[in-house]
Amino acid sequence: MTFTDYLNLLISALLLAGTYAAMAVGMTVIYGVMKIVNLAHAGFLMLGAYFVYELHERAGIHPLVGVLLAFPAFYFLGMLVHWVLGRGIPVSDEPTLASLLLMFGLWLVIQNIGYLVWGTSDRSILTPMTFATLRFGEITIPKIGLVVFCGALVSLVVLEFVLHKTWFGRSVRALIQNRYACRIVGVHVEHIARMTFGLGIAFAGAAGGLLALLFPFSPDFGRPFLLRSFVIIVLGGLESFSGVFVGALILALVETFSILVIPSSYQPAVSFSLLVVALIFIPGGVAGLVSRVRMRARRAA
Amino acid sequence: MISFRPKFLRGFTRVSVLAAFAALPFLFPPVAPAQSDIPIGVVMPITGREARPGQYQREGIALAMKEINDGGGIYIKSLKKKLKVREVFYDDGSDQARSSSLAERAMTSDNVIAMIGGYSTALGEAESVMPDRYKTPWITPGAAASSIFSRGYQYAFGTLSTIDSLGYTTGQFLGSLVDQGKLKKGLKIALAVEHTDHGVDYVNGIKRWVGEHSGYFTIVFDEQFDLGGTDFSGILQKVKLSHADIFLSDAHLQDYVKMQGQYLQAGMYHQMISYGARGPEADARKALGPGIDYIFAGIWWSPDLGYAQVKKFDTDYTAATGHAPDSWYAATAYEAMRILAQAIEKAGSLDKTAIRDQLRSGELKHSLLPGQTLKFGANGQAAYPFVIVQNKPDGKVDIVFPADVATGQPVAPKPQS
Amino acid sequence: MNAPARPSGAGETGGTVLRILRVAAPLALIAALAVVPLVDFGANSAKVLFLTFLWTTTGVAWNILGGFTGQPSFGFAVFYGLGAYTTALGINGGLSPYLTFPLAAVVAALASLAIGLPTFRLRGPYFAIATIGVSEAVRVIMTNLQFTGGASGYRIVESIPFRQADHYYSGLALVVVAVAVSMLVRRSRFGLALRAIRDDQEAASDSGVNPFTAKLAAHAVAAALTGAAGGVYARYAAFISPDGVFAFQRSVAILLMPIIGGVGTIWGPVVGGGIYGVVEEELTARFPEFHLLLYGALVILIILFEPGGVMGLLARARRLFSRRKDASWQPS
Repeated sequence: MTFTDYLNLLISALLLAGTYAAMAVGMTVIYGVMKIVNLAHAGFLMLGAYFVYELHERAGIHPLVGVLLAFPAFYFLGMLVHWVLGRGIPVSDEPTLASLLLMFGLWLVIQNIGYLVWGTSDRSILTPMTFATLRFGEITIPKIGLVVFCGALVSLVVLEFVLHKTWFGRSVRALIQNRYACRIVGVHVEHIARMTFGLGIAFAGAAGGLLALLFPFSPDFGRPFLLRSFVIIVLGGLESFSGVFVGALILALVETFSILVIPSSYQPAVSFSLLVVALIFIPGGVAGLVSRVRMRARRAA
Repeated sequence: MISFRPKFLRGFTRVSVLAAFAALPFLFPPVAPAQSDIPIGVVMPITGREARPGQYQREGIALAMKEINDGGGIYIKSLKKKLKVREVFYDDGSDQARSSSLAERAMTSDNVIAMIGGYSTALGEAESVMPDRYKTPWITPGAAASSIFSRGYQYAFGTLSTIDSLGYTTGQFLGSLVDQGKLKKGLKIALAVEHTDHGVDYVNGIKRWVGEHSGYFTIVFDEQFDLGGTDFSGILQKVKLSHADIFLSDAHLQDYVKMQGQYLQAGMYHQMISYGARGPEADARKALGPGIDYIFAGIWWSPDLGYAQVKKFDTDYTAATGHAPDSWYAATAYEAMRILAQAIEKAGSLDKTAIRDQLRSGELKHSLLPGQTLKFGANGQAAYPFVIVQNKPDGKVDIVFPADVATGQPVAPKPQS
Repeated sequence: MNAPARPSGAGETGGTVLRILRVAAPLALIAALAVVPLVDFGANSAKVLFLTFLWTTTGVAWNILGGFTGQPSFGFAVFYGLGAYTTALGINGGLSPYLTFPLAAVVAALASLAIGLPTFRLRGPYFAIATIGVSEAVRVIMTNLQFTGGASGYRIVESIPFRQADHYYSGLALVVVAVAVSMLVRRSRFGLALRAIRDDQEAASDSGVNPFTAKLAAHAVAAALTGAAGGVYARYAAFISPDGVFAFQRSVAILLMPIIGGVGTIWGPVVGGGIYGVVEEELTARFPEFHLLLYGALVILIILFEPGGVMGLLARARRLFSRRKDASWQPS
């Protein structure tokens, strides 16, 4: 294993981390505000992939433009879904079994609609840059990986902007902290919840579109990413956005470098094991860990 | 002391009423009709991971059935008349449990005389439990793992030669390239196969050849990957790290397409690349375009074989389905139906055991398959030679080995892009 | 999920008859089911019933943990699979199948302890997610384990010829045991403790219940039944593979049954199992493409409109009916 080999692996891991972060953000948004573990996230990832695919196939729209278009399209879809299922999506401070099952049922329905419309065979989005690579000496970087990474980064920056610089964003952060206090200060909880759900789905759709550039997809597309999103969110801390970056990075690094020590066929087990370990030993995620360390430091001072 | 309080049985009464209604259909089992045709069970995946090859195999069987029925059917001596064949089809969705359950259903509820099914080793292995249990002949045109035929089953047959031979033939082909001076001696091989019996058999075949011909190649990497995964970057990274010259994989169609896509994205190169029995498929060409040029495959049949019956099959198949035969899938299924029809006729009755005996001893002449004869071995599996095909630019495919059926020259090493 | 208590004055005249009926009815049903293989209804009907027994067992088992105790596991396939492989290895190793079924139950129960110890610290959805992780991790490990065949699967070879009646009666016995266990648990102090945990774990703990041990016990019972079901299935199918018995779809199916039938009730999972078994068989053969749509839509409708599932609907219907019939009866 030469130095360039290590470097290649590291670059792969970093590119992967960016993608993973974009994928998990949608789930964090919805969980943080509404305390719903959105199992249908997988379904929306899949729909996002097909959305970008269809735009590319039928209208010749460049996939990256398609991803941009996915944001508003899925935002409205998310709001629609929330409106239809509103009854069953309880607005509470604790995650409930009912909401978990509801989202799960929704995922099954979305998956089946996918099968009915698009069949079971894999599709891919192919563009001239799909197989192009950039070479710097012995280092190879797949162009498409870089593009997706940048796309992910941009969308996350936009999210940060929305959350910190807009009134809507401030309301969302307030809602995450304390629902009742929000009502007192005049935040319309139901509307913000609906818009937040829409935002979460928008990110799911756009992330699905980005992932579609990297992997072939079928209606069952979302499932491995769903589990990975859990891992990332749990690692990072279920309510923290910066935590998502950290979680994505940890998962990507562990997954990529684990191949050096374990046989390739065990690789899928890495994310699952990480999930279980994280849930049990680091319940607050890395963000929780950090804040605990900070508190301890403050107390010691 | 626990007593059965009626309160808990309240719900039970409701359930019993429901159950009574639900049971009604079971009280009127279907009356078996007089034998007016020959039902043949066909359980193939036309949805799910193996949908594409499953579809092709079904088409092959359907074409054979149509030809038989156009001739009036199969003559049954004991009934003194010709009976047409009827397809009893189930889609197992590429799911093993479903496949075996549907095979069982075909053999019990539908009373099929025989069954053709099990595309892919996994589905074939699941189904293979049923033929002996219900004493119904079963032919698989799509599963070749030796584990199916090493159990002493009496009613299971397969029209594919062993995967071990495929591996061995691949070794022979690569060895011939060294002898021709196209490849240097002592090149390093990386093996990345699916972790099933299929993959294991393939590796065994290659290792057998390499072991028998020392000095030709060394195997520097030998690992297995998860069948049906999305992301092969892990194993591809490892293959890259092994710095091998030749990359040999054994994968199913969808995995082949995904893996090769990620191979290209990673900017990898090897002098020779193969994915076992996959290479020229239209789906791969559509997804990857020139990305599959110069990949070679060891397959059970090619539309380019020079026999007259192959040309006729190509024409008939294209007319019936609207597309040319894609790799080997339809042909082995077509032959399965034909050898079954021949066995039924020779048996002279619809007795399943008699038909089984005829399958055992019979031989299909003028077969499409390489060697032009299809015969089942003692364990039920057929044995005939493989052909190696190589993808050429612009969608062309050439048979490059063995020399007596070759349509073109092999290109080795693969040109660098 | 009990119907409100009726004042004792109503319907007393038919009371004795009703009481006899209520004891005789279950025995009659069991007898009817027991007769099925002897009458020639067709091998496929017997198979469908047999599979229904197994699905119902897993649904009833899941309900003990998910319904009674309120800890929904999304990873019960792990017990089903472990039970299946235990039986498979046992039979191939020369043990009598009827010995391997309880063995499968024991193995699954032990696994449930290993899984429960770390995961029961988690609540609600976190527990659910952790169970998915565990089940999938075990699936990947089993896919790689060479001595159980790995991804190629494992074949059971029995020296005795196949007799469908053997399997059928094993399945029937198992489901009867499962329902009986479910009733026993519900009726006992243990069941009361589980319900208390479901309603409010802190309050239960304050009232003297040890939630941790209670959950572990419920988990073990549920896992044992599920493992036994897996074992009975393995012997029938004669060929099992990790992608079949440890599949996430299997965990999904197991929890769908109690939810559709009525989570938390005794007969809910039985109804759910019955519906699932019959629908599944017909759906798989004729309309495989509507599978998920059907179950997903059912789940959504149930959560939105009648969380009590089919049993809830029946209770509602009964209340409607009895309100009309007995005008003097006032709801309590």
